[in-house]
Amino acid sequence: MVLELLAVGLVVSAFLAVCLDRAVYSVASLAGTLILVAILYALNDAVFAAVFQLAIGVGTLAVLFLSSEMLSEEPSVKKPLKNIFLAITAALILSIPSVLLSIGTIPTSVSSGVSFSEALWKLRAVDVVLQGLVIITVALGITIVLHEKKERKN
Amino acid sequence: MDYVILSMTLLAIGIYGLLTKRHLLKILISVELIATAASMNFVLLASSSNKALGEAFLILAFSTDTCVTGIVLALLVIASKKYGTCDIRKLAKLDQYETIEDEEKSNGKTKEDIV
Repeated sequence: MVLELLAVGLVVSAFLAVCLDRAVYSVASLAGTLILVAILYALNDAVFAAVFQLAIGVGTLAVLFLSSEMLSEEPSVKKPLKNIFLAITAALILSIPSVLLSIGTIPTSVSSGVSFSEALWKLRAVDVVLQGLVIITVALGITIVLHEKKERKN
Repeated sequence: MDYVILSMTLLAIGIYGLLTKRHLLKILISVELIATAASMNFVLLASSSNKALGEAFLILAFSTDTCVTGIVLALLVIASKKYGTCDIRKLAKLDQYETIEDEEKSNGKTKEDIV
């Protein structure tokens, strides 16, 4: 029952994140989505995934909150409250299939017995190193783009 | 409850936002939702068999997700500072003009001329 309620909450908050007019409210709704996903992971015994989801979600949301406050303008025409209720109703209808239907995936009993640290540092060691390189490259690229922009202004 | 259908619903909501919204921040939120739907599949489908490897893949998916967020936020800052708007349809019309104000000054031209 808890999982089903989580799934409904997840779909509703995700739909509101897309549909709400003001960017700050959308980001707040996205925060709800990410927190519910982390709880879903924790309830499925994926504790590491839940912790990483929360950690990265907090960073992303902090940046999104700041940028939505700084950069987005107020909507000129405010939507009536009725539209928000309509959006919630649509989201509730959208969440019905995930609660009721099943596409019949076959659960496998195969388990390699690999621990999380072994999987990350032995099986996917190259990927971990490469993802570090990718993140550093992207960070450098963003810095260069923003720096050039500043120089042109001067 | 089926997690595949749940993640497909999230994916559909993300694609809907990607196709219908014009603000760059809303587009970024839609991309976040799509990434969340994809990573949810990694973890929840792997929880039945090889759980650890699924979580390891999630960590790798997070790095790409973070890179995408960083790049789109940089674009958002540049678009907002240079052109004064984050609307992608307005930005698409701004190839001839420095800012929205320049576009509005040339009121003699029709929209087709601006495009």
